[in-house]
Amino acid sequence: VCTSRFWFNYRHVANTLSVYRSVKRLGIPDSHIVLMLADDMACNPRNPKPATVFSHKNMDLNVYGDDVEVDYRSYEVTVENFLRVLTGRIPPSTPRSKRLLSDDRSNILIYMTGHGGNGFLKFQDSEEITNVELADAFEQMWQKRRYNELLFIIDTCQGASMYERFYSPNIMALASSQVGEDSLSHQPDLGIGVHLMDRYTFYVLEFLEEIHPASQTNMNDLFQVCPKSLCVSTPGHRTDLFQRDPQKVLITDFFGSVRKVEITTETLSLDRDVAGFESKFPEEELATEPLKYAEQLPVAQIIHQKPKQKDWHPPGGFILGLWALIIMVFFKTYGIKHMKHVF
Amino acid sequence: MAAPLVLVVLAAVTVRAALYRSSLAVFIAERVEVASPLNAWKRVVEGLALLDLGVSPYSGAIFHETPLIIYLFHFLIDYAELVFMITDVLTAVALYLAIQDFNKVVFKKQKLLIELDKYAPDVAELIQTPMEMHYIPLKVALFYLLNPYTVMSCVAKSTCAINNSVIAFFILATIKGSAFLSAVFLALATYQSLYPLTLFAPALLYLLQRQFIPIKLKSKSFWLYTMQYASLYLCSLVVIICLSFFLLNSWDFIPSVYGFILSVPDLTPNIGLFWYFFAEMFEHFSLFFVCVFQINVFFYTIPLAIKLKEHPVFFMFVQLAIISIFKSYPTLGDVALYMAFLPVWSHLYRFLRNIFILSCVLIFCSFLFPVLWHLWIYAGSANSNFYYAITLTFNIGQILLISDYFYAFLRRDYYLTHGLHLTRQDGTEAMLVLK
Repeated sequence: VCTSRFWFNYRHVANTLSVYRSVKRLGIPDSHIVLMLADDMACNPRNPKPATVFSHKNMDLNVYGDDVEVDYRSYEVTVENFLRVLTGRIPPSTPRSKRLLSDDRSNILIYMTGHGGNGFLKFQDSEEITNVELADAFEQMWQKRRYNELLFIIDTCQGASMYERFYSPNIMALASSQVGEDSLSHQPDLGIGVHLMDRYTFYVLEFLEEIHPASQTNMNDLFQVCPKSLCVSTPGHRTDLFQRDPQKVLITDFFGSVRKVEITTETLSLDRDVAGFESKFPEEELATEPLKYAEQLPVAQIIHQKPKQKDWHPPGGFILGLWALIIMVFFKTYGIKHMKHVF
Repeated sequence: MAAPLVLVVLAAVTVRAALYRSSLAVFIAERVEVASPLNAWKRVVEGLALLDLGVSPYSGAIFHETPLIIYLFHFLIDYAELVFMITDVLTAVALYLAIQDFNKVVFKKQKLLIELDKYAPDVAELIQTPMEMHYIPLKVALFYLLNPYTVMSCVAKSTCAINNSVIAFFILATIKGSAFLSAVFLALATYQSLYPLTLFAPALLYLLQRQFIPIKLKSKSFWLYTMQYASLYLCSLVVIICLSFFLLNSWDFIPSVYGFILSVPDLTPNIGLFWYFFAEMFEHFSLFFVCVFQINVFFYTIPLAIKLKEHPVFFMFVQLAIISIFKSYPTLGDVALYMAFLPVWSHLYRFLRNIFILSCVLIFCSFLFPVLWHLWIYAGSANSNFYYAITLTFNIGQILLISDYFYAFLRRDYYLTHGLHLTRQDGTEAMLVLK
């Protein structure tokens, strides 16, 4: 999730797209990635290289291209949409690509970048998400069994404040800086004119370049990425809610889509099952009901039906009261002597 | 006098029936000058339809009529045209009878003042004679029935006609002297649209005059009678409002009717002064200006009461005119009601100063209303300022008309007591000025 927009926040988009690329390289397909970007860099009028977003100076690597699938773009990147994606409380009309279709065996990686402060993260320069909201969203996910294990990485100023409030099990969190520290950007590119990357993400990506689907690198190595000498800020991590030992957690558990494959040398005969499948369909009687619409009245009859009778009638008490008043006024004005003529 | 009246009524009914059957009926029914959000026929039908569907008609912002109108039209909706024609006829007949009685009262008072020698010696030409007053009631009925404003209002089936008829009956009851009936009709008129409240003062003054109770603040009988009348009025108002509660078993109608009249949320253009002003205004100030505008209607009652306490019927006329100019959703039907009274003051003609200009202004503005509406809404080459300009001019015309009549009335009164040829201290001819 990239939570900022405007040209000078180029680096946040580049961060997010680089992590997106690494994750795709390691095997996770687009259907399993929800990418939220403001997406106003590549076609920004200030971009001297239109339709590109570079993550490295000297324009080595274009992380934008026509195989980038952005799920929430521009003004759809809001706190509400983010929380809805996480908790699954999405209107029924949302397409599958915008949903987080996870279950209780899924490992989820959440990477967020942008501008933040002590306890909050700014979304699109107009609203904020607090660490309490995020912790509650994760708890909802836990209650609804939407994750098995969750890795939360955040690259903003004072990023550690965002994971302070988590209380759900099986969450591991990494942040680029502690409370009171700012995360700094890596290098500007004089050709494009803005900073291209943030330091923490830059070194994380360098680290990820060496990971391949079969590597056995574990989380402790990720915690060592970007020491203070390189990053200027102190990265932090939180593992107390995680039930396994971080030493035993593989990077590819979260960053890659690695399947456990068993190779077997036995042969299985499939004929029996295929026959079983085929026999199911012809014998089943599809009980067809008579089609209802043929039983309706013909149109000519419908249009000549009498209109519905008026249902509302003034209450009896009202009519009685009104006419009693009228009669009283009449007799008061014209005298009681008329009464005997009426009766 | 009955035969000419019947003739006039027949003519009026024919004109209206002819218009109902023509294609103009639909065109007129949509005009904003005759159909305001308060009294449009479309809204009455909508409200009754909502009621048939089981929903309270006050639930949206469509229906702003009182429950008694719901009751009336629930049974009469199929005969709506007949109802409105009969209402107009009833109004005209009520005005006719009222003015007949009023003429008798005026004549009696005049005779009394002549015998008491209150008049100056040379005012013979100013005294009203029975000969010239003979046709005034017929003229009043004629003015009301055949006024193009009334005809259009009737063809548009705007419930303003019902409002007018209640006020006409109120005037009839007051002039006949029956305090009870007058209080009942005034309560009905106030219940229907809030503004006839201001007619309480002229009615009270007239009834006091009729009972020969002098209007002095220290007099006990004055206060006693005032209290009686006020309590009759308030009791009938309370009874009518409570009865309306039982129609739909809810108090919804109070914010929908009175809240709507007072807070003016709907800014559809009409011939009044509110819509443009509030369309342009910031939210912040709208409460203040709504209060100012509404106070403007009620404000003139006390000064006019002080000045015109000897002439309550003229006061009633001026008050009716002020209501129809300054109310929040005026229509041409309201204008037609006070214009029906103009023949009663036809003896003031020699003192009216601007009558030609004003009648021209009013006639031209009436023609320009549909023209500028078409230019604004359909042709798109004008904007709301044009229509509002005509509205302003029309209202200025009306206000100047009323103040002209006011001036003429006071001037005649002064001449009656001080003689026709006024001289200043140094002997030159003097001129009366309204300050």
